[in-house]
Amino acid sequence: MNIGRTIAMALRTLSRNRLRSFLMMLGVMIGVASLTALASVGEATKQETLRRFKRMLGTFDVVIVNPGGASTRGMPSLTSAPPVLKQGDVEAIAKEVALVKQVAVTQFAFDVDVKYGDKTVSPSIMGVSPNWAEVRGEEVALGEGITAEDNDTMARVVVIGEDLRKALFPAEDPIGKQIRIADVPFQVKGVMAPRGMGPGGASMDYTLAIPVATASRRLFNRDYYTGMLAQLRDPAQADRAIADITALLRERHGIVPPGEDDFTVTSPKAQVARVTDVGSTLSKVMLGVAAIATLIGGVVIMSLMLIAVSERRREIGVRRAVGASRRDILAQFLTEAAVVSFLGGLVGILVGVGGTLVAASLTKLPPAILWSAIGGAALMSIAVGLVFGLQPAWRAANVDPIQALRS
Amino acid sequence: MIEVSHLVKTYTRGDGTPVPALKDISFTIGRGEFVTIRGASGSGKSSLLNILGCLDTPTSGSYRLDGEDVSHYSDERRSHTRNRKIGFVFQSFNLLPRTTAAENVEIPALYTGGAVDRGRALAILGQVGLGDRAEHYVTELSGGEQQRVAIARALMNDPPLLLADEPTGNLDSAAGESVMQLLTDLHREGRTIVLVTHDEGVAAYAEREIMIRDGLVAADRPQPGHAGSGAARRQA
Repeated sequence: MNIGRTIAMALRTLSRNRLRSFLMMLGVMIGVASLTALASVGEATKQETLRRFKRMLGTFDVVIVNPGGASTRGMPSLTSAPPVLKQGDVEAIAKEVALVKQVAVTQFAFDVDVKYGDKTVSPSIMGVSPNWAEVRGEEVALGEGITAEDNDTMARVVVIGEDLRKALFPAEDPIGKQIRIADVPFQVKGVMAPRGMGPGGASMDYTLAIPVATASRRLFNRDYYTGMLAQLRDPAQADRAIADITALLRERHGIVPPGEDDFTVTSPKAQVARVTDVGSTLSKVMLGVAAIATLIGGVVIMSLMLIAVSERRREIGVRRAVGASRRDILAQFLTEAAVVSFLGGLVGILVGVGGTLVAASLTKLPPAILWSAIGGAALMSIAVGLVFGLQPAWRAANVDPIQALRS
Repeated sequence: MIEVSHLVKTYTRGDGTPVPALKDISFTIGRGEFVTIRGASGSGKSSLLNILGCLDTPTSGSYRLDGEDVSHYSDERRSHTRNRKIGFVFQSFNLLPRTTAAENVEIPALYTGGAVDRGRALAILGQVGLGDRAEHYVTELSGGEQQRVAIARALMNDPPLLLADEPTGNLDSAAGESVMQLLTDLHREGRTIVLVTHDEGVAAYAEREIMIRDGLVAADRPQPGHAGSGAARRQA
């Protein structure tokens, strides 16, 4: 018997006993629904994390060099950063590592008072090289950005973030105004376009940028940097660039094995992987729950099918008498199991996608429907039907028609 | 049509003792014959019917159906043979519940590999006098009507041989007689009919009677009352 006809027959049989068919579908439905929702929510979270990283870093075609080895935790600031990344390192990386297009440097600081009029605030402060805006994909919404000339002349100019503008200049044009950073006067040159939330969920717009030379020499009197962004010619070569930069810095810093790096080189991808990893313990647990639900669904299918086989012995006998072979009967019952499981999976996918959309509207995260997960769930539901239908189908195929017709 | 020779069927009990059901059966049934196989319960007639119907294989001996030796066919080939060459009619009708008359008639066509011809199913239902009952569920039909549906089902793939096992056993006498009349008509159209029964009255419709006793052919004779019975009598 051909497969289309077998499926049509299975649908007819299933529609004759709706309650049983529904019960058979239920477990697979729940399992597939939670798998679909889980995969979609996971994907949405991952995409949102990526978006936030992208907002923080501007681009993904960079590697990040921070002072301090693997044992140093947290965001380095002037107070905690080991003084190891020097101007010489920056120039060496730009010159000697062929994969690197250009290097931008930063000088971070927190807990510095910024005053305007009678307002005092404490935003994050970044001394940045003139190419920083370009490397990061930073845009100026109002006025101008930091130029090479500003840096060369150690100009006391500042570009402020959107949140800082709101805090200091809620009703006036900030351009040309003078603010005091650690009691040093700076002239506001521009306002950065808002970047939104970073990976941690905090705003990245409560900040200001000044020329890095001004920060190093006029403000903090330091000859080292708190971070570098090395822009790559080819983002696919990040791993090689990391290795090359690591080797170069070790050599320049005179580190020999077994000495550990006094700096950390990472790529945004590695950072994203670390963040998304944190969520994965939870998703593994939920994945397990979904798998168990699906498994229970399979067992329900198996037991209800076994009952059906013994109730339908006469039908099997009749079909055998009029010409159905063992294989036809096997195919019939296997198809019924696969079809009912697939239908359960289909409903489960709809419920899962619906749940995802609801969750997305509640969390305000943009929904991500993972088509590969949906396809996988559909295939899995068919597989569950086939696996758990096998034993009942085998039993059906081996019903003795003589016995069945006599009863 | 049917050629059995030295057919033996021995079952094995749970404890390993052999139980002979058919000891040595030989006969030939020609195309177009109407034969009853008669015997008391336990005579071996059911075992014989199962082998003739290709539901079972003999322990030894041979069975040729329509020129083919089917004695040792695989399940697949026996199923195919049942599908194409044999139409079964059972005592308890064996129709599928929650299914219409027409759907029941179509079942054999599901296993031919070809298309299911609804028109043919309806035509056969008309032929057995149930043209207006095609879309009725079997539970809405009387016993006699159900057995007619079963006969229509047996005819769906146009098999040369009809095997009927006590077809009137569950029917009242009027319904039983009309079913026998239908079988007689089919016989007159040239179909070979083998009818298993213990009922002499039913046997009287046939041309020939094979008596089975203790797994052996006890008698094989033309039905004595045939000329004056059934259709012939009514036509006279």
